[in-house]
Amino acid sequence: MNQSPEAKPLFRKVLVANRGEIAVRVMRTLRAMNIASVAICHRVEREAVHARFADEAYEIKGETPVAAHLDADAIIAVARDCDADAIHPGYGFLSENAVFARKVAAAGLTFIGPEADTIDLMGDKISARNFAAAHDVPVAPSVQARDDISAFVRAASEIGFPLLIKAAAGGGGKGMSIVRDTSELGERARVASSEAQRYFGDGRIYAETYVERPRHIEVQVLGDGKGGAIHLFERECSIQRRFQKIIEEAPSAPLPESIRTEICDAAVRLVAAARYKNAGTVEFIVGADGRFFFLEMNTRLQVEHPVTEMICGIDLVRAQIEIAAGGPLPLTQRQVCADGHAIECRICAEDADAGFLPATGPIRLLRVPSAEYIRFDNSLEQGQRVTADFDPMLAKLVVWGKDRAEATDRMVAALKQLTILGLRTNIDYLIRTVENAAFRDGALHTNFIAEHADVLAPAAVDERLRDHVLIAAALGQRAFRDAITVVGEPHASMAGWRN
Amino acid sequence: MPLHLTLDGQKHSIEIVRRKPHLVLRVDGRTHEILEWSDEPVGSITIDGDATAIARALVDEGGRETCFVRVAGRTLEVVLTDPREESAGHDATRDEIHAPMPGAIVSVHKLVGEQVTRGETVVTIESMKLQTALAAPRDGRLIDVLKKSGESFDKDELLARLEPMDEA
Amino acid sequence: MRKIQSMISTSGTDFRRNDARNRELVAQFRAKQDRARHVRPKRDLERLSSQGKMRPRERIEKLLDPGTPFLELSSLAANMAYEGESPSASSIVGIGIVSGRETIIRADDPTVKGGAWYPLSVKKIVRALDIAIENRLPVIHLCDSAGGFLPLQSELFPDRHMAGRIFRNQSILSKMGVKQLSLVFGHCTAGGAYIPALSDYSVIVRGTGAVFLGGPPLVKAATGEESTVEELGGADMHTSVSGTCDYPAANENEAILIGREIVAQWDQAQKWPIQRDPPEAPAYDPQELYGILPDDIKKQFDMREIIARIVDGSRFHEYQPNYGSTLVCGYANIWGFKVGILANNGVLFNDSSLKGGHFIELCDQNNTPLVFLQNITGYMIGRDYERRGITKDGAKMIMAQSCARVPKFTVMCNGSFGAGNYGMCGRAFDARLLLAWPNHQIGVMGGDQAANTLAEVKANQMRRSGEPVDQATLARVRTETLTAYQEQISAYYSTSELWDDGIIDPVDTRNALGVAISASLNAPLGQKGYGVFRF
Repeated sequence: MNQSPEAKPLFRKVLVANRGEIAVRVMRTLRAMNIASVAICHRVEREAVHARFADEAYEIKGETPVAAHLDADAIIAVARDCDADAIHPGYGFLSENAVFARKVAAAGLTFIGPEADTIDLMGDKISARNFAAAHDVPVAPSVQARDDISAFVRAASEIGFPLLIKAAAGGGGKGMSIVRDTSELGERARVASSEAQRYFGDGRIYAETYVERPRHIEVQVLGDGKGGAIHLFERECSIQRRFQKIIEEAPSAPLPESIRTEICDAAVRLVAAARYKNAGTVEFIVGADGRFFFLEMNTRLQVEHPVTEMICGIDLVRAQIEIAAGGPLPLTQRQVCADGHAIECRICAEDADAGFLPATGPIRLLRVPSAEYIRFDNSLEQGQRVTADFDPMLAKLVVWGKDRAEATDRMVAALKQLTILGLRTNIDYLIRTVENAAFRDGALHTNFIAEHADVLAPAAVDERLRDHVLIAAALGQRAFRDAITVVGEPHASMAGWRN
Repeated sequence: MPLHLTLDGQKHSIEIVRRKPHLVLRVDGRTHEILEWSDEPVGSITIDGDATAIARALVDEGGRETCFVRVAGRTLEVVLTDPREESAGHDATRDEIHAPMPGAIVSVHKLVGEQVTRGETVVTIESMKLQTALAAPRDGRLIDVLKKSGESFDKDELLARLEPMDEA
Repeated sequence: MRKIQSMISTSGTDFRRNDARNRELVAQFRAKQDRARHVRPKRDLERLSSQGKMRPRERIEKLLDPGTPFLELSSLAANMAYEGESPSASSIVGIGIVSGRETIIRADDPTVKGGAWYPLSVKKIVRALDIAIENRLPVIHLCDSAGGFLPLQSELFPDRHMAGRIFRNQSILSKMGVKQLSLVFGHCTAGGAYIPALSDYSVIVRGTGAVFLGGPPLVKAATGEESTVEELGGADMHTSVSGTCDYPAANENEAILIGREIVAQWDQAQKWPIQRDPPEAPAYDPQELYGILPDDIKKQFDMREIIARIVDGSRFHEYQPNYGSTLVCGYANIWGFKVGILANNGVLFNDSSLKGGHFIELCDQNNTPLVFLQNITGYMIGRDYERRGITKDGAKMIMAQSCARVPKFTVMCNGSFGAGNYGMCGRAFDARLLLAWPNHQIGVMGGDQAANTLAEVKANQMRRSGEPVDQATLARVRTETLTAYQEQISAYYSTSELWDDGIIDPVDTRNALGVAISASLNAPLGQKGYGVFRF
């Protein structure tokens, strides 16, 4: 083993309170930093890759697998029992749960993420908006609903249509709704509120200016918790389905330099003002006219963080760990420079041709493309079963190119090589999207998928393809192959001779 | 007999025409020469002089075999029909559960009207101090259970009946 | 091995005349075959399809592995018997591939009198089982027969090689470890019921299949008991109560699929390892056979020209090329299998008989199957030849041929007359398969010789009784003999009587021999040994 010249690891052992690709990704950095990793898993994922990849793995009991991953007390107990000194939450699950962050700290462990108070501040959309507005970060005109719906309708109408109704505590598109005139506003507000109540246990909603065909641009930031903050440029995340991103890239190619600078500066301003500690992402809506508004801040590592890593040449998880251990920001803003272009595609188990409904099934064949410019963040293995227990995202395919055109070409090639067979995935859909002319032109906005639905649908199967596929399928069946090989000579050569 | 396959809801048939000097298959009456093929899941297949890289995987679940085939960045699902299932069609004998031996009912697990899947236990019987679970012979709806818990029966006696679910 | 250099001119007038005539003969043969196979009264076919039954040839096609050969045997059996009422003797027999295994398939033909067995049907079935025994070929019975054809029961029931022999052969096959499967599509009544019962495996179709010793009418007559077909011998009764049959099938299709699965379980005997080389098509086009076979049986032709159009690459290693030249002997390959060929190029003399006997022993020593290509008018007769021992030399050839333990195959290419038929492995000498070409003729002597011989006998009678020799009477004797002969020496009469395993188109000879040789290698060779040769 090579002895690290670094005197002593920042932590001895870190528990990763997550699963799947992100758990494995965090553990890779831990391993590189000479820190032991601890995995948690539910009974059903005892054999999962992340559990085997970790140095230690512990089972958390839970009614459902997701419940196990949300059981803060049990997870902290495991961390204490196994002598871990920090917890990395990944994304999703408990990553933006202030209560969890507080409990971790109370248990004498380090939470690798922001302070609980910052999570609270940014977790509430309304307080986050107000904070942003107070620090000269542009926010969309908005109005919050009080108990009196008719007052809300009046005030909202004054902002002007279209409007977007959102849950104050929400995320992931739940409880969101676009309203185009006064008549439907009242009813939509009631529905949104009850949906928000159901999903988030918090029925508060607000309405804000809805930007037509907006781009979704976000800025990766790092803060030292003492007011020091830097950005690592923006990511373009406009390609979304069911309000969830599926293709992200960095940088946002068509974004004018002046706006890029403005947006990044605004993000740093916000983070510095919040004395934000650790990695975070500030999300913006950018209109076709170049106007941009603060959307929200994600107080965690983002799913799409690899595109930033690929262009900036930085390991964000390592930065998170160093900051959490009390270290300074790993680099100054001047030292941050970007090179080339990176694109990420989220590989999901879903039926892209039928409303993106999640799909389940076994992974019978897994073939992963490999090149120095390809990164495949995953926890997959051939033979594993994809169930409805967790999110349908299977993996992330990331490529780098010297410019967007090269990155796009490389992504198409890599997607064509990436083979996951045995259940439905969105790989073919992603190929069609990335190959699409509008995508190549960079004409991106969050309505891209709905607007191009016709051309993104699969082409009809022509006779040649159909016969090739049928033949390949038949030859894939053992019984059919046996029927070919079982016949010896001279009969095989005589074929269907009759006398 | 030809192999029947379904792609995009359309039925097709494939038949071996000859094996040597190379494989010749007939797909819906169209003859194709397969100059090169392998039984590996990933490989090249040359059909009528046209070489294509192909990956495929067979999933045998829920009583049917589906082959996922990936060609040139496109994935298609082909359902392979079991020729015996196809020939036998709806076999009325599989609608009934008969007692394999004399005994008594220990418990009835399903209600009349309930949907059952093949292999699901419908009743548990006891005979010669041995408990046996009797499973549904097919997917369907339970339309009759002729014995109650504790009741006894003779060998071959009819215990329950199913009816097929409407095909979607 | 050297390629045979053909001396035939394919543009010569002889060639073209022969070609036209032989193509006409083959067309006649194909027409007869087509009638026997496919022409049936509409009413019989409609009854079949109304019962949900397939025609027997459809059943066979579905049973066979797709894209594999089927060598049908005796397709024109009974073609000159029973006024044509029993096409193919109401039974289809052939060698085919099922689940990769070489099998004998034997199917009743329910489109003819309910599949009833005529005397020649029984002969054909017994022969099929003999082939199975000799070659250790598994048998698949496709049962659908009303039983023996009662008006002719005396010709099919009592004798040694009649119906009982079927069941004896079935039992012997099973004892030898050669598998049998019955697919019961229709009724198997009386004796026929023993076919599935004596098979190692049986599948029976629900609704149409039935197996019983006596059907409902017979039971009613015998005991007064009322019963249905299903109760007496239906699929569910036999597969769940009596255990007479093994697998119920929902329909004929499923029965065939189950049958194919069963065959796939069978062990396969190691094939006897004769010398095998990669197969190669003949260098000369087999279609040229039509131009070589003469339009008159009395015209001589060179059998090497025939060999060149049957064997791999037309290559032939001729043995003793300068000795006994009326019998061509040598090694060749057919579909890759090394064989020893004996072919007649004229009457057998002392030297050709000795050469033939010696070559047979060489092939036996070398584990090489023998192929006889017959075109023989007999052994040479006359004082000189008798003094030189033509009879004992012919006997040596017969002894060697009878006792050789390698598989033998005979093709009747043109004529087969007199004792030459014996020396060249005629029907009595247990060729694994004996096939005839449509132009072929067979008899103890040729028609002309017989007519002349009988006329000569008649003239002698007249002379002895002091009568004047009446030329008109002699002419009548000649014509009567010739007419009777003409019918009986034809290949169609032979094949009708099952004196061979079928007529084939000469062009099909190579494939037929390939299937036959391959099948023969399933049986082990017997003990080497001969009787006493008269030197």
